[in-house]
Amino acid sequence: MKLAACLTLALAAVAAPLAAQDEGLALGSAAPRVAVPDLDGKPVDLGQLIGKQPVVLEFWATWCSVCEELLPRVKAAHAAYGDRVAFFGINVTVNQTRERVRRYLAQHAPPFRTLYDEQGAAVRAYQAPITSYILIIDRQGKVAYAATGADQDLTAALRRIVGS
Amino acid sequence: MTVRQLLVLAALAAAPAALAAQQGPPTALLMRGPEVGRRAPDFALPWATKDTVGTAGAPFQLWKNLGRVTVLAFYPRDFSSGCTAELRTFTEQFESLFGPDVTVVGISTDSVETHQRFAASLGAPFMLLSDPSQAVARKYGANGDAAMRRVVYVIGKDGKVAYRDLRFGALDPKAYEALRAAVREARR
Repeated sequence: MKLAACLTLALAAVAAPLAAQDEGLALGSAAPRVAVPDLDGKPVDLGQLIGKQPVVLEFWATWCSVCEELLPRVKAAHAAYGDRVAFFGINVTVNQTRERVRRYLAQHAPPFRTLYDEQGAAVRAYQAPITSYILIIDRQGKVAYAATGADQDLTAALRRIVGS
Repeated sequence: MTVRQLLVLAALAAAPAALAAQQGPPTALLMRGPEVGRRAPDFALPWATKDTVGTAGAPFQLWKNLGRVTVLAFYPRDFSSGCTAELRTFTEQFESLFGPDVTVVGISTDSVETHQRFAASLGAPFMLLSDPSQAVARKYGANGDAAMRRVVYVIGKDGKVAYRDLRFGALDPKAYEALRAAVREARR
């Protein structure tokens, strides 16, 4: 009986991460190193940067109103840290076209380099639960920040992770 | 063999199934819900569309849909980012993902009144069903703690499960491609 109970608990423990499907990567975990194409289809290997300098990744879409609300904070963080931190905006490509993304970029001028995750490789690797999901990967290549929503204080997060 | 060894073996046996395929017997041990090829459990739930809220006396009933391919999309919350991405994609790509002869229903714990507002905001051409107690979600292994998990089933014309994705990626283009292929196959 005890043994059966233990086995049930073990299986439940393994199942738990499946239930937490909208969670994203755990803080402190090693950031995956994937290559994602840019808008012209040229692959950008994030592994070339991760572990060498801090990296900000934002998962976004043109239809994401939260991302638009968040944009001033991203711009402020880039103004303060853009010289030391690589900023990437990973477009999730669901319900998107390259043309639509280009129009948005021309109109809103986000400060990041835009990647177009057509195969979903980054979405899967970084377990992006929703758009507005931002990860900060520290110089050691570990996930130091992961959050969603319009009210993220990225500048404060970068100050903590990168320094003043 | 010690209890500790048994625990490690159990975890090792279950982990690949949890991390890889969403179908097949090993996953069923963890996720529950009917497997592919099994009869889809019947249910009846109140519904709303973008234009109206269904009357209490005329719920949506799955088995009344026999003879048509039906897609069940369990999702966490109306108006949340991931659910908006998923259902907006269903809406805007309805023809290419499903086709006119397929019944699509979204299911969450939200009320029919909230569903009606959400469906109207999307212009969704399909029903949203309200399952506040998650009784139906439990039958399909889609129940969660605070809200449902994102789970998609394709039910064939014969009422059997033709496809399921127990961890549908709302932002993953490949999840939609797999669903499109499954629906196409089920419509044949």
